[in-house]
Amino acid sequence: MSALAFTALALLLAGPVPAVLARASWPLRAPRAAVVLWQAIALAAVLSAFSAGLAVAAMLFVPGTGGRPAATVDAGVASLGWPLWLALFLVLTTTLLIGFRLVAAMVQVAIGTRRRRAHHRTMVDLLGECRHDMADVRVLRVAEPLAYCLPGIRRRVVVSAGAIHALSETELAAILRHERAHLGARHDLVLEAFVAVHTAFPRFVRGSSALGAVALLVELLADDAAVRATGRGPLARALVTCASARTPAGALAAGGPSTVVRVRRLAGRPNSRVLAIAAYLTAAAILTLPTVAVAVPWLTELHRLFFAH
Amino acid sequence: MTRMNRLGDLERSVMDLLWDADEPQTVRQVHDALCAHRELAYTTVMTVLQRLARKGLVAQLRDDRAHRYAPVDSRDDLVAALMVDALDQAADPGGRRAALMNFVERVGTEEADTLRRALAELDTKQHPR
Repeated sequence: MSALAFTALALLLAGPVPAVLARASWPLRAPRAAVVLWQAIALAAVLSAFSAGLAVAAMLFVPGTGGRPAATVDAGVASLGWPLWLALFLVLTTTLLIGFRLVAAMVQVAIGTRRRRAHHRTMVDLLGECRHDMADVRVLRVAEPLAYCLPGIRRRVVVSAGAIHALSETELAAILRHERAHLGARHDLVLEAFVAVHTAFPRFVRGSSALGAVALLVELLADDAAVRATGRGPLARALVTCASARTPAGALAAGGPSTVVRVRRLAGRPNSRVLAIAAYLTAAAILTLPTVAVAVPWLTELHRLFFAH
Repeated sequence: MTRMNRLGDLERSVMDLLWDADEPQTVRQVHDALCAHRELAYTTVMTVLQRLARKGLVAQLRDDRAHRYAPVDSRDDLVAALMVDALDQAADPGGRRAALMNFVERVGTEEADTLRRALAELDTKQHPR
């Protein structure tokens, strides 16, 4: 009963597994592997859902006389009985709806993100001052220390005059290295995929906040790049200075736990290679098992559907 | 330099000029001021002003003889709005999140104290007395 197995696997990968992973603390010590694991889980959940859909479809179009698929609803109902046929039909419809919704959300997020980014970049280019020594950096005349980056092909790192004033040269270098790590590794694309999942899936599935966990991990990756360039001290001081600054009126005051986690992590134990390897292996297993489990029955089903005589 | 970049530079110069001016400027005035630095066609300046007007950055005022242009918002207001936009997008829990990436999330006063303690802990670890 592959349909049931795939449905169970999809639900498991969409609900309890992310909930457990989001609460775990080991990803702080293996952020890159943890991001890969998150991606593997998301991809495997989608694969399982589609496999469940296909397995159900194969059951709906049961083999008729001579092994040919029953092309008519009547034949399917006759062989399965009304209640089961209806239940399978509902599962198939739901799977298809989820699939369409995911694709629609991806398109919508991709367009919206790029539009907002382009508008913001136009304003940054209009209002920010160029630094002759750094072509990708724009300085905003703002007293509060502030730094962020605009990813994409025409990428920008934006820092405020307040940040340049409040931070030492090494601390500023740590920030720039952090932002350029985001830009160079296209962390925004990783984040964008999870934003799309977050937008697409019903509330009960996304409650576990995969997006929040991945957003933190991506920051940790950029932090690690900054630590390699300048050491832990300058990055930690830059983080605390920028995070403790007054939030201007009108802006949302973001929740601070992730900031505290980042600073504490710099004072804690270093990244663990063992944890990373374990996470990579788990990611590989999560992706391989459903894929193999999908591929074998699928190919036989497809063969039956299209080549039966 | 690509054409887009030149246009962007030009928009910037025009906005700087309008912000620094005391009163709304005609295309001729903007053109003359910009030509002090570089060669520019009158029509180019007009196009740039119309583009900025379409973007809602400058207002076109009808005078008895010529159109005059003035910035809609002051530079400080726009910078402040840009900063609020940056912080809001990065703090948004949902769909607006991937557009830009903030260096760090702002914290409240209580968490700021926690941060300073964590920083002190790191300092003593790195330079034990």
